[in-house]
Amino acid sequence: MRTDRELDEILAQIGREHRAVDAPDSLEAVLFAAAGNRKRADRKPRVRMAWTLAAVATLLVVIATAGVVWQSRIRQWPRMQQTQSVPVRRVEPEPKLASARVGGRESVPPRSGVARRSARKERDSSAKEPTWNSLDEFVALPVSEGLPPAAELSVVRMELRGSDLQQYGLQTPADGAARTMLAEFVVGEDGLPRAIRIVR
Amino acid sequence: MSMFKRQGRRRRDGELSDEELHRAALAGSGEAMAALYRRHGGLVYRFTLQMSRNEAIAEEITQEVFLALLTQIDRFDARRGALSTWLCGVARRQLWKYLARNDSAAMLDLDQEGAAEVQSPSDGPVELLLRHEAVAAVRAGMDELPPGLREVVILCALEEMSYEQAAQVLAVPVGTVRSRLHRAKARLAALLHEETASTERKRR
Repeated sequence: MRTDRELDEILAQIGREHRAVDAPDSLEAVLFAAAGNRKRADRKPRVRMAWTLAAVATLLVVIATAGVVWQSRIRQWPRMQQTQSVPVRRVEPEPKLASARVGGRESVPPRSGVARRSARKERDSSAKEPTWNSLDEFVALPVSEGLPPAAELSVVRMELRGSDLQQYGLQTPADGAARTMLAEFVVGEDGLPRAIRIVR
Repeated sequence: MSMFKRQGRRRRDGELSDEELHRAALAGSGEAMAALYRRHGGLVYRFTLQMSRNEAIAEEITQEVFLALLTQIDRFDARRGALSTWLCGVARRQLWKYLARNDSAAMLDLDQEGAAEVQSPSDGPVELLLRHEAVAAVRAGMDELPPGLREVVILCALEEMSYEQAAQVLAVPVGTVRSRLHRAKARLAALLHEETASTERKRR
């Protein structure tokens, strides 16, 4: 019992000495500065956030502007509707399609040499220069002669004037030079037209 | 008089509470942080010093503990306990981490004879010497205690914390604090008894 009481007294004495020790003053300045640094560090993310928001807003404006410009350019495109990468049946540039229609004599056998020659002559001239009103099916364009065969074909639909047919080697209709028509072009992967069909 | 009671009186006198000072420190007030340190720095420093027996380590851990006030904002909840006990708890965790990382032999280089002792003027030279030897024996005995028992002695016997406060710092039930303190005191008492018997033998 005496030892326990003595121990309590000794511990109380050690406790008094213990509590007389204070924290070093040097740390006070360190912590003072740390609190100040925290204030500055708090500001940094806010500034960073503001810059991020500004950058995002700028990016959105740029994207929107690009979209508007793109839309306006699409509208200015010469009334072209394009169907890309549509595989189509390969069109043989055989002029007989046109001649068959124009002449309507393919089913009629030639009866004589003169008649045969006359028919061939007529067919040849028709094949070389198909007329616009015979183009309800695809007809090989004269300008595509000599082009290498295309591996992939696309159909491109566009509106054009009758007078525009000339540049493809086709006859311009006398009464339809100024007339607007809807045509479909068969275009190879090289971008060059191979055949044409008048839709309306 | 307990340090905790003294703090309570200061707050009643109109000083800012720990919570208010903490908020101000979080808002960047160096003065508030310094005030918190002046209020609680001693407790944290003494605890870490007594546990580590190394001034450099005690300073380092005390600094880390107060910096944690700025970085681990969400950890401190004033409703769950006093700031002083929270700080002590953080200090204890840092200390145990340090103990786990380092050789504990490095934690015994504090000059034990450095602290001045309070002496009763009625004691004679022989009594003073005996007392001195007994105090030295208890100090040595405290250093020999396992850290788990030593920290209870520091908090309850030296810092005069209540069992409840010590339990909060140590994150253990109050009953555990009681039993640990009992075991620690029993060891110290045995040591003191041995020391007293040895001194008696010498005197004869």
